[in-house]
Amino acid sequence: MIESKRHRRMIANIGTYVVLVSLSVFCIGPMIWMFLTSLKYEADIVTQTMQYIPSRITFDNYVAIWTQSGFPRLISNSLVVTLLTVTICVVTGTLAAYAFSRFAFRGRDQLMLGYLVVRMFPAVMMIIPLYVVMRGVGLVDSRFGLALAYTSFLLPLFVWMLKGFFDSAPKELESAARIDGSTRLGAMVRIVMPLARNGLVASSVFIAIAAWNEFLFALMLTTGQGSRTWPVGLQLMVGEFQLPWGVLAAGGILSIIPVIVLFAIVQRTMVQGLTAGAVKG
Amino acid sequence: MTSSASRYLPFRALGELSETRYWMYLLLLPSLVLILLVIAYPTLYGMAISFREMRLTRPGLDGWVGFKHYAAMWSDPVFWIALKNTVVWVTAAVVLELALGLLTATALNRDLPGTKIFAVLILLPYFLPNVVAGHMWALLLDPRLGVINDILVRVGVLQTYKAWFADPDAALAATILVEAWHGFPFFALLLLAGLKSIPEDLYKAAAVDGAGVAAQLRLITLPMLKTVIAAAVILRVISLVNSPDLLLILTGGGPGDATQVLSLYAFQTAYKEFNFGYASALSVVMFVILMIFAVAYIRMSRITKE
Repeated sequence: MIESKRHRRMIANIGTYVVLVSLSVFCIGPMIWMFLTSLKYEADIVTQTMQYIPSRITFDNYVAIWTQSGFPRLISNSLVVTLLTVTICVVTGTLAAYAFSRFAFRGRDQLMLGYLVVRMFPAVMMIIPLYVVMRGVGLVDSRFGLALAYTSFLLPLFVWMLKGFFDSAPKELESAARIDGSTRLGAMVRIVMPLARNGLVASSVFIAIAAWNEFLFALMLTTGQGSRTWPVGLQLMVGEFQLPWGVLAAGGILSIIPVIVLFAIVQRTMVQGLTAGAVKG
Repeated sequence: MTSSASRYLPFRALGELSETRYWMYLLLLPSLVLILLVIAYPTLYGMAISFREMRLTRPGLDGWVGFKHYAAMWSDPVFWIALKNTVVWVTAAVVLELALGLLTATALNRDLPGTKIFAVLILLPYFLPNVVAGHMWALLLDPRLGVINDILVRVGVLQTYKAWFADPDAALAATILVEAWHGFPFFALLLLAGLKSIPEDLYKAAAVDGAGVAAQLRLITLPMLKTVIAAAVILRVISLVNSPDLLLILTGGGPGDATQVLSLYAFQTAYKEFNFGYASALSVVMFVILMIFAVAYIRMSRITKE
């Protein structure tokens, strides 16, 4: 009886590892293949017999993407847009998340539901009028304009995520500070924000990644070198110059490095924040 | 403390302001103004555009046209194809992602050694940009040098390399696979959190009563996960219906209209033809369909719960 139970458990464990390993290969395999491709000479990519392990390695593709196209410019534009988006969301969203988390007032639930419902609006439905409006005020093809457009879907997300983190910060310390004569503002800045620091960082990173990756708004709202972000630039390069596979792969690897680094740093807290809402509600 | 506070007069004024009863509204004000500006106003304006003629290529054409665009849609064959494709694409992708997500979450939930590393690896695709994911899979499935073709030929599944995105039947299936790869970690993440919230005692009690693995899944796991599954499905459906990115990069709707979906059709009508009126009408219809689905779905999942 005990023998068969242990036997069954071992089979289940082996099965679990088989599942986990195959899923990991499914997830990571394509990325590894892209990485290997970025290290190959073009002649080795378009050969008759597939090279699974590159016979020789080159960094020419990385040099090519960095020097022969406007790639550095694209990356710096993306960086600026991402930083602007995060700044706008952190400044306005933190206040809102704090208000939702700590105060009961009339219309609170409706307002929060409203912040959730706006996420249902189709991107296309927003892009067209945003384009028309921003063209009117000269914000098309501007990095600030693009960042503003990004807040339309990232700010509500940020508020919801951060509210969850504020909710789980203990209220007792805050009350103690208030009794000691601190103002509400003082308690918020000195007590609650440091307590929810990890959550604040994780939520910011989450919207930073989303802004860094965004493609559709950027395609419509940027028209020139001055504000074009890397996803649009890379896509246009594929269309215009028939970008060689190795160079494209190198560009892909370069642009996901920041994502992977950021994700690695905060993944635990971020996962908590993403899942809290769904499990509770 | 007091001396440092008095040095920053504006902060002290704000501190005093925070003691008034309007403080929470002041906190909400900046984000609310922003949301009204970049969401509410454009949304209403977009709905208005759908009743107007607005083509940036022909500025002379401007004015209210009533339901003209909606009538045109009714007799537009591409609209109906796109609608059908949207339903097929979203349904297949969500079912596949849910199944893979459930499998992943169950495996991760057993907490065997090394699980943390697997979790990070499996979660990674979700954070990969669409542009990179799209081109990466285009390379993997390339008709001349795609490694997946090579593997399938070696294993003996295929006779020769297949042009996945050129064949109308295979194209939709191939894009669904790519979407599932990109999206299933989201389900895994939410379902894992759901599984963790189920008390261990329930399983112990069931085991004592002689319930097997299958019975435990049917009687405990799935009912306890119901709300999480419902939430994950609705969030995913919304984001899939709304975002044409991946299809835009992989196929552009082709071959023919084999992978044309509503969001992509609307975007191309705006981006390529600058026909903003018709594009807005298309996205309004899409939004209404989505709303009806969301309300019906939420109702349904509530009724079955009670």
